[in-house]
Amino acid sequence: MTVSPPVPGPRRGPGAPASPPAGERTAPARDGRGAAGGPAVPAPGRGRGRRGGAWWPYLLIAPTVAGALFLLVYPVARSVVISLQHFRTGELIRGGAAFVGLENYRELLGDAEFWEVVRRTAVWTAVNVVLIMVISTLVALMAARLGRRTRLAVLGGLVLTWATPVLAATTIFQWLFQSRLGVVNWLLVRLGLDGFTDYPWFADGTSTFAILVMLVVWQSVPFAALTLYAGLTTIPAELEESARIDGAGGRQVFTAVTFPILRPLFGLITSLEVIWVFKCFAQIWAVSKGGPDGATTTLPVYAFQVAQSLHKYDLGAAVSTLTVLILVVALLAHLRRVHRHEGEEGEAR
Amino acid sequence: MTSARRPGALARPVRRGALYLAALGVLAVSVFPVYWMAVTAFTPTAGIQSETPSFWPAHPTLQHFATAVNADGFWQFWRNSLLVTVSAVLLSLVVALLAAFAVARLRWRGRRAFVLMVFIAQMAPWEALLISMFVIARDTGMLDKLSMLSLLYFMATLPFTIVTLRGFLAAIPPELEEAAMTDGAGRPAAFRRVVLPLLAPGLMSTSLFGFITAWNEFAFANALIIKNQDDRTLPVWLSSFSNIFGTDWGATMAAATLFMLPVLLIFLVLQRRVATGMITGAVKG
Amino acid sequence: MRYRLLAATGVLALAAGLSGCGSSEPSPGASGSAAPEKLTVWIMRDSMSDALLGRFESGFEASHPGVALDIQIQEWDGIGQKVTSGLASNDAPDVIEVGNTQVAEYAASGGVKDLSDKVADLGGADWLPGLAEPGKIDGRQYGIPWYAANRVVIYNKDLFAKAGVGGPPKTREEWLDVTAKLNKGGYQGIYLAGQNWYTLAGFIWDEGGDLAVKEGEAWRGTLDTPQALAGMDFYTRLQALGKGPKDSDEARPPQADVFAKGDVAQLISTPGGAVAIEKANPGLAGKLGFFPIPGKTAGEPGAVFTGGSDLIIPEASKHHDSAYEVVKALAGEQFQLDMAKEMSYVPNRVSLGGVLDGDEGTAAMAAGAANGHATPNSANWAAVEARNVIKEYMTKALTGADAAAEARAASQVITSILNTKS
Repeated sequence: MTVSPPVPGPRRGPGAPASPPAGERTAPARDGRGAAGGPAVPAPGRGRGRRGGAWWPYLLIAPTVAGALFLLVYPVARSVVISLQHFRTGELIRGGAAFVGLENYRELLGDAEFWEVVRRTAVWTAVNVVLIMVISTLVALMAARLGRRTRLAVLGGLVLTWATPVLAATTIFQWLFQSRLGVVNWLLVRLGLDGFTDYPWFADGTSTFAILVMLVVWQSVPFAALTLYAGLTTIPAELEESARIDGAGGRQVFTAVTFPILRPLFGLITSLEVIWVFKCFAQIWAVSKGGPDGATTTLPVYAFQVAQSLHKYDLGAAVSTLTVLILVVALLAHLRRVHRHEGEEGEAR
Repeated sequence: MTSARRPGALARPVRRGALYLAALGVLAVSVFPVYWMAVTAFTPTAGIQSETPSFWPAHPTLQHFATAVNADGFWQFWRNSLLVTVSAVLLSLVVALLAAFAVARLRWRGRRAFVLMVFIAQMAPWEALLISMFVIARDTGMLDKLSMLSLLYFMATLPFTIVTLRGFLAAIPPELEEAAMTDGAGRPAAFRRVVLPLLAPGLMSTSLFGFITAWNEFAFANALIIKNQDDRTLPVWLSSFSNIFGTDWGATMAAATLFMLPVLLIFLVLQRRVATGMITGAVKG
Repeated sequence: MRYRLLAATGVLALAAGLSGCGSSEPSPGASGSAAPEKLTVWIMRDSMSDALLGRFESGFEASHPGVALDIQIQEWDGIGQKVTSGLASNDAPDVIEVGNTQVAEYAASGGVKDLSDKVADLGGADWLPGLAEPGKIDGRQYGIPWYAANRVVIYNKDLFAKAGVGGPPKTREEWLDVTAKLNKGGYQGIYLAGQNWYTLAGFIWDEGGDLAVKEGEAWRGTLDTPQALAGMDFYTRLQALGKGPKDSDEARPPQADVFAKGDVAQLISTPGGAVAIEKANPGLAGKLGFFPIPGKTAGEPGAVFTGGSDLIIPEASKHHDSAYEVVKALAGEQFQLDMAKEMSYVPNRVSLGGVLDGDEGTAAMAAGAANGHATPNSANWAAVEARNVIKEYMTKALTGADAAAEARAASQVITSILNTKS
């Protein structure tokens, strides 16, 4: 099987349509923009013959808005309402929940366990995102320096990893780290570490946490690395060369040329990874259910546990609300950038 | 004599070697787990249970695949997953295309707020909405229905799809479309003849993203399909499968392989365009 | 524009249609029409053999024309969420098997049909108290007793003979000696998963301890008492005499399958486990023996958890009358006798107990049942189970952590869960 590199050639911008005329016309423009100021979206231009005042833009977004209202806004609102009620199994089944004001939030914020979970979620997110970004950057830089065939193989491997569904991946990792017959234990014993004979990885909080980090990093690196690699290929080779002629070493070229050009891309990928890692639920739930002893309980897992295992749906809803608030605050910079960006190009111009 | 050479010249082959060694390492780490899954799936049970793992099935067997496929309702769940996934993806593409067009090509009051809302929607913690979604589905008679799952997956993939398609649309010069229109084609015809073909990579990559998301989803599929067990989807089946066949790692890995297969096939079919599209989406979004 | 909107609507409809086809929901059988009334019955995994359920289904459908049974097997994993969802839905399953440690919670939720007026019809005066009590709240009967069972030791007679072990051990110390003798030459003395907490509970009760006690109105977790720690210590010594995984319970992997491979000498299970073992490996038929879990002295068998199941009818079931017929049949004498023979369970009525005389597994079970105990009688106990508090504590203690400190932490969690107001 052949898996071609995500970006056909270094001179074509990411996303350039495949058919030649348009591709040739748009790609250079996008490259230039990318090199100068980061990945920018050409704005709906003034004077391009678009009538702006009509009502039909609103018709176009109507299905999106309708879907979001019913399937997102309404559930979120409902969830917030539940967090303000006494809503347990009885209320779920019989209805008739009573409002209790901020009682659930008070209980939650006064609970040491909640703060422990928040702290753990922060650690979880930081460890994963840092690892993902560092490894992806290294892989992308490496891929750019490889010969064509090796590069194809490496990129192909990344795509394969990327295509592995979450549930299949978690099953595979459980099998790899199985205490009996697991290939990881076998390998470690072969390397002379006899202590790993039948070592129960999932019995200990720290090792379970570590395995989950490996799993999430393994699954997340391909996206980040492939994107960064694509970004690297848009940097005109002359820029790096001239830096090198000026006597810069590999590291200096990266910090002085490569990183500044790709900074928006880095910011963007980091933000996306923060969202994904922070929200990560399926992997943790499938592997450890937040255990052992809560060592892998992050906020989404905690919300699920409180609601589904303890049947405290009200508290679970409160956890969810706080989770979203924390995430929004953490990504405020990202959102403001989006907002500003849209402003520059849209209405403001 | 090497000692006579300049230090840089000495470092070069060494660094080259290190580079390729690293490449090999990355390749091994990314491929091995999937490879191991496939090997286990083809290895006879006796081989799996031997104390020394074999890294190549000397006597490959299809026994585990037979166990998995013959397990209760496999094809039924396969079909359910496909139905839910495909309908969610199609719906998402159409709705997102409309919105992306409005955002990329038109200027209107509220556009900035709309884009911001789309970005925020990407952060929605879906699992946290399980209970309110359950209550809503129940109160609207959507419980135990695959169509509810379709709608949910549609919504879960919509924001990303809008953002990505909008990026693609923005990269297509409006002049092309306008030229077609001055040639006498109406706007819909111009859109179909000029824009849609150029948009194909974007449509493909976003459908792939949607496909993976929907194909994978477990929590809602598990919580919202209660009594109509024939309507379960593959992820739910896979999880109960590993409950039932806990020791049978061969069968479990065969099931995981079968689960992964459609995604892999689509990846291979769309390969070139997909990765490009994902990247564009990421660059934009 | 209209053109495109129409197209969009078309795809919407198509998508809805596609997924619509997927749901194989039967058209609601209008009464009087030929379509049979379809009843959904949830039975837990491995609680009844396929053959037994098949016999029941065909027998029931033959005697109740117009009713079709859909018996669905449920996994224990995540069952609390599943049953709660079922009770809360508008179209619930019609009959659900629930464990006797969990029935109190469902009964308290208000989603279960009150069957108090049917108790006499079902012969309730004769019920096993260990099953009837948890199903009863404030004098109203919600859960109908189905079957009881407690754990015994199933052993491989061949391996006992091969190791030169004469007969079943009578005391705990003897048990450890025998098991150590069996745990040689590629054989496992006992396969005991690290998280088999019902077994641990038995050892703790033997020592005079408990999982939790009620003091006045408040509950207190008591895994950290000296008695409970002594129970855990014995569990640790026993567990080491085999290759049971320390981080998993008896269901993952299914312990009957492990035993069926033939290299395990002993297993702690309900006698019904022998059915699953023989199904997985017919070669073991006739080679399985049973004995009660040994106690501290030869005179008294080890304490055991009295397990079992009740049947409930959700309020949200749309077929209350037919559902009751199913419950009545399942709890009735004919099925109970069939079940007792096939599964070696204790029937739900005291008067039917005699049917089991002569069966080796049941004899062992009956001996143990004399020292039967129950889990703390609280509607919140199900939450303790769902959060795996005891299981995780066991894994920690088995993998070398400070058992006393871990027990203290686990007890605190149990205390807080049990004292939660619902």
